Amino acid sequence: MKRFLAILGREWRAYFLSPLAYVILAAFLVMNGLIFYAIVAFMSTPGAPKGQALPYLFTNTYFWIFNLFVVPIIAMRLFPEERKSGTIEVLLTSPVSEAMVVLGKFAGALGFFLTLWAPTLVFVFILRAQTPIDLGPVASSYLAVALLGAYFLSVGTFASTLTKNQIVAAILAFGMLIPIFSAGLLESLGSDPARRDLFGYLNLWDHMDEFSRGIVDTRHVVYYVSATALFLFLATVSLAAKKETP
Amino acid sequence: MIEVQNLTKSYPTQTAVADVSFSVKEGEIVGFLGPNGAGKTTTMRVLTGFLPPTSGTARIAGHDVRTHSKEARACLGYLPESAALYPEMRVREFLAYRARLEGISGADVRRRVDEAIGHCLLEEVADRKIDNLSKGYRQRAALAGALVHQPPVLILDEPTVGLDPAQIVKIREMIRALGRERAVLLSTHILPEVDAVCDRVLIIDRGRIVAEGTPQDLRTRLAGKPVVRAAFKGIVSVAERLAAIPGVLSVAIEEDPDETRARVECEASSDPREAIFQAAVEGGFVLRELAFDVASLEDVFVRLTHHEEAPVEAAVPPAAPEEARPS
Repeated sequence: MKRFLAILGREWRAYFLSPLAYVILAAFLVMNGLIFYAIVAFMSTPGAPKGQALPYLFTNTYFWIFNLFVVPIIAMRLFPEERKSGTIEVLLTSPVSEAMVVLGKFAGALGFFLTLWAPTLVFVFILRAQTPIDLGPVASSYLAVALLGAYFLSVGTFASTLTKNQIVAAILAFGMLIPIFSAGLLESLGSDPARRDLFGYLNLWDHMDEFSRGIVDTRHVVYYVSATALFLFLATVSLAAKKETP
Repeated sequence: MIEVQNLTKSYPTQTAVADVSFSVKEGEIVGFLGPNGAGKTTTMRVLTGFLPPTSGTARIAGHDVRTHSKEARACLGYLPESAALYPEMRVREFLAYRARLEGISGADVRRRVDEAIGHCLLEEVADRKIDNLSKGYRQRAALAGALVHQPPVLILDEPTVGLDPAQIVKIREMIRALGRERAVLLSTHILPEVDAVCDRVLIIDRGRIVAEGTPQDLRTRLAGKPVVRAAFKGIVSVAERLAAIPGVLSVAIEEDPDETRARVECEASSDPREAIFQAAVEGGFVLRELAFDVASLEDVFVRLTHHEEAPVEAAVPPAAPEEARPS
């Protein structure tokens, strides 16, 4: 546990010691601020649909564009950087298992991802000052962000174990996330009910819709958690295999 | 503390380390000497658990690196070839991270970090970013990282590579001090290093250990016949006179414009220097120089790893595949 925390802490801090973190953070906050402004402006026009403003923050197209592009960039440095500096040798020859290394690094990246989202809680307070807010959907939305972030980052972590090159790692992660994300969109194309059900189960957009309305469906939670576990397991296997052929 | 038996590491296309056996005791510094690509790094990576061996066993402080990898790794401090550091971290942060990674916690971390900083003379730069340090300080920071948890076994892969002479002397002093209560295995392709630091030498070539012993021992055992160098003023014909001296095996003459140089190979444990002086006096030659040619470890090394000539001992099969070291 101490060792896990040591890896997590170093990883999380490493983000803030590189300019990349601030670029992502700034871009993310500017974009989300604009979207939030647009949502509130839209909701204030006469004839706008009644309801809460905040769910739109998690169901708009930019939300997905952001996650699909930025998560690979967050995860790309995890292992390639260690390989480049040779510190991977130090890490893997210290008395720490490969699974612990993968988990620690993944948790550090997830920590950074959640740090990106943390400032958006300000929006909740801004809205609360003006209008009554149902906090249930807010909580379930942020839970969904964490689950989705963990899922996508586990894919990114796996991709980063596959190569020494950060750019290649990011492209690989993006290449894996696109089918994961678009699988759900196939739901509307299938005519076979079983197939529709399968793709429906994978429809991330729909899941997010439900979470943002305060519905925490355990099937979705199970999907995210088990998929995250699967990709972290793959990352561990890949890391152990890479040891064989440095 | 380090025991290696019949260790072999092969890749699909080549054998990097072939049937290597050796041991390093506590309080001993063993130099692992060989040309680039001889299998030094591969052997060390197997010892540190970074690479699994193909066959054979390696033990660190009694723990098999394959079956009890974690225990073995816990007894080990490893300095990889590339001085693996996180450039964005400060020295103190880096050492604290290494200590925590080794399972040290709480107040101990600070104490061990301070000790390592003291040991490696890093006080001046302890709060500076590693990125901004000179190569010598970086190497020392990496060394401090390898010993922050005070392991009984240290494995150092080319600890002085790329340093300037003053820094090399410093690092060597540190290693010598460390070796007093630890088992240290260090690799190098720099010969004076072995002479300066090591109690014992293993010469490895093409994945095999071709010689083993103290630096002194290797010199006397493997350097071949003693050689006396003599120089005479002017161009003179001394060859026959020198060859006639008892104990002299061969004489090689080299003529400079104003000097005649003789390289006199003689039987082991014979000393023809006085006889050469006498011969010079009798022949009326002016002797300018007369001394034993001290065989250097370099000679031994070249002899053992130079493949055009047959090696003196422990012949290397000529078909042994060349290792292209994995990076």
